[in-house]
Amino acid sequence: MNKIKDIVSRIAPEAVFSESAPWTVTVPTAQFHAVAQALRDDPQTQFDFLLCMTGMDWGETLGVVYHLRSTASGCEVVLRIETADRENPQLPSVSDLWETANLNEREVFDFFGIRFIGHPDMRRLFLRNDWVGYPLRKDYDASAEVNPVRMENEETVDVTPSYEEHDGKVEQEERVLFDDQEYVVNIGPQHPATHGVLRFRTSIEGETIKKVDVHCGYIHRGIEKMCEGLSYPQTLALTDRLDYLSAHQNRHALCMCIEKALGIEVPERVQYIRTIMDELNRLSSHLLFWSTLCMDLGALTAFFYGFRDREKVLDMMEETTGGRLIQNYNVIGGVMADIHPNLVQRIKEFIHYLPPMLREYDEVFTGNVIARQRMQGIGVLSKETAISYGVTGPSGRASGWSCDVRKLKPYGVYDKVEFDEVLRTGGDTYDRYLVRVEEIRQSLRILEQLVDNIPAGDYCVKTKPIIRLPEGNYFSSVEASRGEFGVYIESRGDKMPYRMKFRSPGLPLVSVVDTLASGSKIADLIAIGGSLDYVVPDIDR
Amino acid sequence: MFLNTYTDSIDFNAAREWIHTTLSGVMPAWGVTLTECVLVGLCLLLGYALIALALIYIERKVCAFFQCRLGPNRVGPYGTVQSVADMVKMLIKELIHINHVDQFLFNLAPFIVIISSVLAFGCLPFAKGLAVLDFNVGIFFLMAASSIGIVGILLAGWSSNNKYSMIGAMRSGAQMISYELSIGLSILTMVVLSGTMQLSEIVERQSEVWFLFSGHIPALIAFLIYLVAGTAETNRGPFDLPEADSELTAGYHTEYSGMHFGFFYLAEYLNLFIVAGIATTLFLGGWMPLHISGWEGFNAVMDFIPSIVWFLAKVGVVIFVIMWFKWTFPRLRIDQLLTLEWKYLLPLSLLNLLLMTLVVALGLYF
Amino acid sequence: MNALKEYIVSFFSGLGSLLTGMGVTIRVFFRKKTTEQYPENRETLQMFDRFRGELTLIHNDRNEHHCIACGICQMNCPNGSIRVISQTLTDEEGKKKRVLDQYIYDIGSCLYCQLCVRSCPHDAITFDTQFEHAVFTRSKLVRQLNHPGSTLEVKPKPVAPKPVVPKAESPKVEKPQGEAPEAAQAE
Repeated sequence: MNKIKDIVSRIAPEAVFSESAPWTVTVPTAQFHAVAQALRDDPQTQFDFLLCMTGMDWGETLGVVYHLRSTASGCEVVLRIETADRENPQLPSVSDLWETANLNEREVFDFFGIRFIGHPDMRRLFLRNDWVGYPLRKDYDASAEVNPVRMENEETVDVTPSYEEHDGKVEQEERVLFDDQEYVVNIGPQHPATHGVLRFRTSIEGETIKKVDVHCGYIHRGIEKMCEGLSYPQTLALTDRLDYLSAHQNRHALCMCIEKALGIEVPERVQYIRTIMDELNRLSSHLLFWSTLCMDLGALTAFFYGFRDREKVLDMMEETTGGRLIQNYNVIGGVMADIHPNLVQRIKEFIHYLPPMLREYDEVFTGNVIARQRMQGIGVLSKETAISYGVTGPSGRASGWSCDVRKLKPYGVYDKVEFDEVLRTGGDTYDRYLVRVEEIRQSLRILEQLVDNIPAGDYCVKTKPIIRLPEGNYFSSVEASRGEFGVYIESRGDKMPYRMKFRSPGLPLVSVVDTLASGSKIADLIAIGGSLDYVVPDIDR
Repeated sequence: MFLNTYTDSIDFNAAREWIHTTLSGVMPAWGVTLTECVLVGLCLLLGYALIALALIYIERKVCAFFQCRLGPNRVGPYGTVQSVADMVKMLIKELIHINHVDQFLFNLAPFIVIISSVLAFGCLPFAKGLAVLDFNVGIFFLMAASSIGIVGILLAGWSSNNKYSMIGAMRSGAQMISYELSIGLSILTMVVLSGTMQLSEIVERQSEVWFLFSGHIPALIAFLIYLVAGTAETNRGPFDLPEADSELTAGYHTEYSGMHFGFFYLAEYLNLFIVAGIATTLFLGGWMPLHISGWEGFNAVMDFIPSIVWFLAKVGVVIFVIMWFKWTFPRLRIDQLLTLEWKYLLPLSLLNLLLMTLVVALGLYF
Repeated sequence: MNALKEYIVSFFSGLGSLLTGMGVTIRVFFRKKTTEQYPENRETLQMFDRFRGELTLIHNDRNEHHCIACGICQMNCPNGSIRVISQTLTDEEGKKKRVLDQYIYDIGSCLYCQLCVRSCPHDAITFDTQFEHAVFTRSKLVRQLNHPGSTLEVKPKPVAPKPVVPKAESPKVEKPQGEAPEAAQAE
């Protein structure tokens, strides 16, 4: 912390430091970019990973909270900047330092109207271009007169505004995304290979892709805004609907965050149950990944094999939680109900059932010469790019970035089980595929160690009927099926959160598509998309 | 009895004679020719539709069984009427009128595709005496006729005013032109062996041993190349790039609806039948039964099975193998597809042709 | 020469991998199929008992339920899919008493979050395993859960009776201790 203090105060003497953890630095706007750059580049700090970027409306001021992490040391620091100008708020962009800031700053602009100076592409990310107002501001007018349901199509524009500062004066510049001569194909929003309503505007030359422009927001539901009007137990219901394939893990993150804020110590039994369910969820997600990637590459039969086996995982989860997709199992202080008496037996059977099936998967797809040629060397993501874009999870690990939250900051009972963090170095589609297939085996290994040792005890601790979080801000994250899922809560002591932000693993995954797919074929774009394994409701929230 | 020895099993020659004499008794010569032409045309189209329906049903069942499913089983016993129901649905569906398409070409394209496949279908020798077009350059005509289909696909993609269709059609063009080479060369290999291009003659010469066995190594290689190239020629997986559903939604026929789409669909399945039919005729002895010299009893039993059954059974086996390909393999990428053709199949088939010529010249075949 | 050898080796290993794949699919071809034939197996189809089908108000065989119309479930619902309409009756002794009139549940906006069931102080509601919800109009998704003419089950003092169909492992531990202060005003 002292090093950080030194570096920051050298550049920005007026910076304010928090007294306690989480280490928060409030940086004056003018020096922010220099501070951020110093923190990233200084060999003593090396905050090369922008974990989470949260737009804020503090009433008087608008601002942004940055969660930075150093991949070398694992240290974290929180930066805050704010501006009092609510009419025309402007803050410096850090998209040149961390690529992941690109889409995140667009999201903040979309919801708070903060313009980032130096950002190359200041369009709205989720909402329509003709949307009036900035929804996550506290003074937003949500009436239907301001934003009626528009029946006409949204006009697609090929130019984008960006704001540059010249001699203290901010000027708007137009940047061209696609010029008139380019052959632009829409892949999505209704397309079988985008795994949901996601739209890629793809400029192609013959079969070769020149540029991909991602359009998100087709199923944006405003969950973060909704959470501001719900009590804490009620917000839990919405996390399952973010990344529906990591429903349990998402909810685990939110429960952990609230429990941390309340100072609740959850029983050992709950930790075991949560970990088991997390891994089951990961199994179901990775099996679905395997199936859909096969389908994207045209092997429809393999798709059915994956779904056949995933069904067994879903049955297990349904028997205990009552839900297959929306499981609704974690609650603040524990889980909804004790595990079903059959669960342990079922898991044991499954641990013996799956490995022969995995061998079949390998025979039918992994080893297949066509599949290999379709995946090897396609969409290579280097470690540096992965970190800069914040591509966590299996996709990041395929690039050699050790980013498994289960190992970095063990939660649940991950510190009590033996498992390997699957790392590969190639960073291509094939490596991303292999990491996930191997993680299926690791999940089975974890389950095998846990399933016989679930300690006796309560499955839930008592909580007050009305939950109020003490004032402050809280962040916790878990390793969801496709990356690090974080929850940031800012509480003002109410029974509702003042601001709740979900760090979705999906947004970095789509932001990196352009980098990976440029120069490859249309078919490769599908393979890359399939191997990144994003889930659209997680991107759109 | 029509099922005594093989030479006389279901004798379509006799039926043909009978129809001809009966008709000659009641009308003048030109009337006979006209009536016979209409009859043949009707039978051909009926057979075409029935085979397509049967194939669609079989494909759905086979695919389902590969995928641990049951497949259609609601309409009729074991779902057998499913494809008929689908056809009725297709017939009564609206032909959606699309703005900004080249109406003439757009409407023409499905007909070109279907005409080409009907023409090729007419060339196949289905059974002893059951062949519509049979002349001395039959195989040559067959290849020429089946190649017209690509024009239809290109037109469909071009006229649809849809970027996906366009990409699909372009892929289709590149793919078909490339793989026609391999098909042609492997057929040529067999023509070298048989010494004739007339389809009925080719079948007759396999009455003792099928070409696949008599031509041993070069014939086997030619057969494998033909299977791969034939799969590519029918736009079926793993070569279904023109309509790669996860990339181009439906490729060149994205914009088609109702019976126009139905034509593409029918032609696709009939092309599968034609490819399998040519493979049967050239390599597997056409409608000839399996004979093993010296095994008289066995041969007599084989002879007992009528020729049309032999033909359909062999075609069925080849079709099953092609379906097996489709439901196992992932799809190739366009450049890999072309690499496979130009770097592997084409040199191989050229060498193979040379090998076959040597084999024939030196009399090394059975 | 090496290049040629590599070319040939890659050709045959590729061919081998294709044949291995075909071996797997043909094995599956002859395996038992996994399709569930749904409408036919309706009689034998057993849902898991924790499956959340639709909200029900538990009635016993005398057409009595446990709902005292406190409205806690309505207050807890994140999506406003529950509406508890109560009426005030005056009994013979002149005491005013609030009883349930209508328990309206909109399954179309239900999130199945189970907050209502967990928060109910009298175990009056539960989720059953009914899953066939399809109807032709949205208005049919709004249902009244209390049966016509049903009444509140009279409790034999002093302990409240167990619910007629207890939910498996009903969440006792997490139950709110006493009614929340807001509950009285909720309605």
